[in-house]
Amino acid sequence: MKNGHGLLRMARFAAAVLLAFGGVARATTLLRMSVEEMAHASRAIVRARCVGTSSRWDAGEIWTFASFEVEEAWRGSPAAQITVRLLGGKAGNLTSSVSGVPRFRPGEEVVLFLEPTPRGDYSVVSWQQGTFRIRRETAEGREVVTQDTAAFSTFDPAHRRFETAGIQSMPVEDFRARVASALQAEGAAVEGAAVEGAAR
Amino acid sequence: MRAAIAMLAAALLALTPAGAPPAQAYLMGTTLPQAGGCPALDRWNLSLASPLSRRWSTSLPTAQVTLATVAASGSQAQLTEIEQAITDSFGVWSGVTGTTFNAANHPGMLAPLARVSAANACTNDAETNADGLNTICFNQSSLAFSSGVLAFTRVITADAPGASVGASDAAVFAGQILDADTLFRNDGQAKFATRAALGSAPGAYDLESLLTHELGHWLGFDHSAVWRAVMFPFAPPPGQFLGSRPTAQAPDGPLADDDRTGIRLLYPDPADAVNVGAIRGRVLPANPFALASIPAPGAGEAVTGIFGAHVVAVDSESGAVAAGTLGGWSCNSAASGTVQFDGSFAIERLPVGHNYAIYAEPLTGPAGPADFSEGLNDLCGGAAPACATPAANTNFNPRMQPAGP
Repeated sequence: MKNGHGLLRMARFAAAVLLAFGGVARATTLLRMSVEEMAHASRAIVRARCVGTSSRWDAGEIWTFASFEVEEAWRGSPAAQITVRLLGGKAGNLTSSVSGVPRFRPGEEVVLFLEPTPRGDYSVVSWQQGTFRIRRETAEGREVVTQDTAAFSTFDPAHRRFETAGIQSMPVEDFRARVASALQAEGAAVEGAAVEGAAR
Repeated sequence: MRAAIAMLAAALLALTPAGAPPAQAYLMGTTLPQAGGCPALDRWNLSLASPLSRRWSTSLPTAQVTLATVAASGSQAQLTEIEQAITDSFGVWSGVTGTTFNAANHPGMLAPLARVSAANACTNDAETNADGLNTICFNQSSLAFSSGVLAFTRVITADAPGASVGASDAAVFAGQILDADTLFRNDGQAKFATRAALGSAPGAYDLESLLTHELGHWLGFDHSAVWRAVMFPFAPPPGQFLGSRPTAQAPDGPLADDDRTGIRLLYPDPADAVNVGAIRGRVLPANPFALASIPAPGAGEAVTGIFGAHVVAVDSESGAVAAGTLGGWSCNSAASGTVQFDGSFAIERLPVGHNYAIYAEPLTGPAGPADFSEGLNDLCGGAAPACATPAANTNFNPRMQPAGP
């Protein structure tokens, strides 16, 4: 009874804490962004396969450079092979660690929201938030994507449950359609603005 | 349908003295020694002869106001206000008793907070930094700031004795932290507010909340899956502060017990006779065949327990979470020196004289495996890993095994 009572109190406390969480990842503090917002911020969106990683010093920091073969370009016209710059890694006797930076393994397939850096490579928009891992569901063989930050949740006090805004196990084609829709809407908005401007 | 039902094979449900070295790395960053062997906890080599140096850059963005203060921009009072927020954030961690980081019982472990006036004081493009000077920057450009990244902390550790970076001392042990810098975005995409200014700065994040969490990374923490913990990976939304502000009576007020337990593990006070309990055990599937489909982590090895379970100790009297850890592996330096994915967990530095209930849960709640990628992925090493870290197992339903009489 004592344990159960204590656990009940713990659950109440936890619920009270959860009421207040809004969903910004920290240490690394990431601005919460929707797929549409990230699509807007990106200059390239690719489905790609990691073919290798290496780490070295550059611009005063240790970086990991992940090479990808681009399988599909959902936005922009990236080269067939691209390099993505990720803060942290190993160089010599030193290890640089940063929470929130995605890590990739050769052979892994992902969808990445990218923006170019002044060094000619790419960085991932909002790090883990702009990283979507592809896997095949063994039962049906279909491909699904899960966002690295799929656990980003907010607590809905009205229904007393978590609302997860991240992408989790979404069929790749559905995800691609959502991205395309976001880009189409952005294009329409830009076009509308241009027409409006021209009318003046 | 869940493939496995796990139970806590808790051979040591009762508190036992923590005589043996930790079997695993709690929720901390770890570094694999270059010479091989078990992952080492990331931590500073704290001593009076080598106190933790720290400084902050008083260079603030002028084109964009990113720091909201009550004091006027550009005034000395503004710098004082910001500096107080930094001091208080350090004070939260140095207010924990039972650790050599405690400012009252072990004065001198923290060097005075210094000022530097240069922009880009955390790192520069000349590749002369990281500099071993441990800086907090509000006006720092960095290639790392892609869209949506508002602030981050970068920690550099040695993987062998003798390594150094910039002005740091040479490392004495693998895992020793040599440099830590916290960078806040300076282009106006986010605004941060001091305690006094938070209420009148719409859309601003509470600076102390973020900085206290970032300083946890300075000290060697990875993230915690305990909701109340400062090291939980989600911050309060803009305009809000959660928990307790530090006070003179309770300088560590914002922390949860989980945070306190963590720093006691990293920097234990040899004189501490209270926080010396440990609970160790394994999280195992009721049906071992449930693990058969998990790829072998190395030649001749197998995953023999639940990896990546969140194991939590709850104080039976108060109902408070005392500490949590990510279980699933062990390493014995005296034996093979390689990581075994056997479901082991260890919750160390618990206060004695209490009864605890423990439970294990899959990481399917508000914090998921990706939030712990640094800690979970570093177990096998980088370029030529000795093993392949399995994915965190989230496919189980926990069942408690009752404690023995």
